[in-house]
Amino acid sequence: MIIAAIIIAVLLIFGIGIYNSLIGKKNQVANAFSAIDAMLKKRFDLLPNLIETVKQYMQYEGDLLTKVVELRAKAASPNLSNEERLDLDKQLGSSVKGLMVNVENYPDLKANQNFLNLQSTWTESEEQIAAARRAYNSSVTDYNNAIMMFPGSIFAGMMNYQPIAVLANTEEERKNISAKDLFNN
Amino acid sequence: MAEETATGASLQIILNELEIQRKKVSDIKTKAYLFLAGGVILIAIGVLLGSLMIAGAISGGASIITSIVLFSNSSQKFNDYRHEFKQRVVATVLKSIDPSLEIEYKYGLLESDFINSQLFTQRPDRYRSQDQIYGNAGKTRFSFSEVHAEYKTETQTKNGRQEHWHTILKGIVFCADFNKHFNGLTVVKPKDMGSALGAWISDKMPIFSSSSKQLVKLENIEFNKAFVTYSTDQVEARYILTPAMMERLCELNDKSAATISVSFIGSYVYIAFPLEKDYFEPPVFKSLLTTKSLDEDLSIVRFMYAIISELDLNTRIWGKE
Repeated sequence: MIIAAIIIAVLLIFGIGIYNSLIGKKNQVANAFSAIDAMLKKRFDLLPNLIETVKQYMQYEGDLLTKVVELRAKAASPNLSNEERLDLDKQLGSSVKGLMVNVENYPDLKANQNFLNLQSTWTESEEQIAAARRAYNSSVTDYNNAIMMFPGSIFAGMMNYQPIAVLANTEEERKNISAKDLFNN
Repeated sequence: MAEETATGASLQIILNELEIQRKKVSDIKTKAYLFLAGGVILIAIGVLLGSLMIAGAISGGASIITSIVLFSNSSQKFNDYRHEFKQRVVATVLKSIDPSLEIEYKYGLLESDFINSQLFTQRPDRYRSQDQIYGNAGKTRFSFSEVHAEYKTETQTKNGRQEHWHTILKGIVFCADFNKHFNGLTVVKPKDMGSALGAWISDKMPIFSSSSKQLVKLENIEFNKAFVTYSTDQVEARYILTPAMMERLCELNDKSAATISVSFIGSYVYIAFPLEKDYFEPPVFKSLLTTKSLDEDLSIVRFMYAIISELDLNTRIWGKE
């Protein structure tokens, strides 16, 4: 009788442990996404300033600038899904990269201290987003492993937990020298 | 090129001068050893022959006292010689690598800095550090020092308590200004049985890990084989340890005989290299003039200097100058 009670107690504690750890891992994924979100916001906030500074010098890059302004307007709208935000960020990244590459043609802009600060803050935000994405992927992998492996898989089935897709690496993350490319040196 | 030849020529002059000083030290030390050995032999003969015990004791004792005087004399001369070697030879060699490099041989990494670097969790009970070399490589300020840190354990034996000393680190601690801003702490430790178990516990049973630092699971397989990473901030750890930085740290680790430890704290990167040899010490019984005498010292300085470019710390594009 006592032995049976002990076995049940142990199983119960074990079960609670797995249940809690699954919930913890799922929350961790949400938490990791909010880190990306915070970084994205920081990056979008840089845009008005960047656009203002660049506009004064880059008369011949109208198309690129218009695209950045449009994307910025989209990014400001509050009803965006996570995927949309990430997609916007990707587009913004490549547009701004296009702008930065063309800076070579504008010596005055290249010498502007305000622009240089913005440029390095932009690169900093790029690396921070890359880091946040990697942290997110790591916690997603952790969560996926937990719900797909035994005995977590049993609980996950009951709790209706589904695997989450990891974020595809952007070209920049794969190369990881994007910052240098941006500066074109 | 002309400058290099000039440095080489002035170094040769210094070495020639110091060689004379070295010979003096070596002569006195040799004499001291001879007197010591002679004294011991005389006493031994006296004891063996019995009848000559007093004569043996007196002559042997006199010989040993002479050797003690000679030893103390040589130690004074050796200190002067050592001082000259570090101030002139090592300093000149450093300038040949980079004009900004300097040596403060009496000073090293402060014990408080060693503890604050959090490279090692064990606090030292005995700490020595010397031969601090510092300067700039491009835009990055750096320094490195020889460090010997130990901790003590005590065991109860029949004859009372017995102390045991264990080495935390004997080697060099390198410190440089990091090229990115960060606020938290990230530590990269060698993966051994203990740290692997610790990592497993903090991953599977986080309740049992009391530390504020979390295990960081990184993507680089090679890196994970060699190291375990903890950080106060998961995102910041990845901001610092980019895929490129992880590869660079692996390369640096491959060049070092024992696995390195790395910590990122307070805007600095600290790297501990466990090493057997004492560097920047002048030879006594070997000539200063052989080409090899300075090779090891030179190569360790070059190695430390190259870390800045290997870790790409001069790329300052992330808003930190």
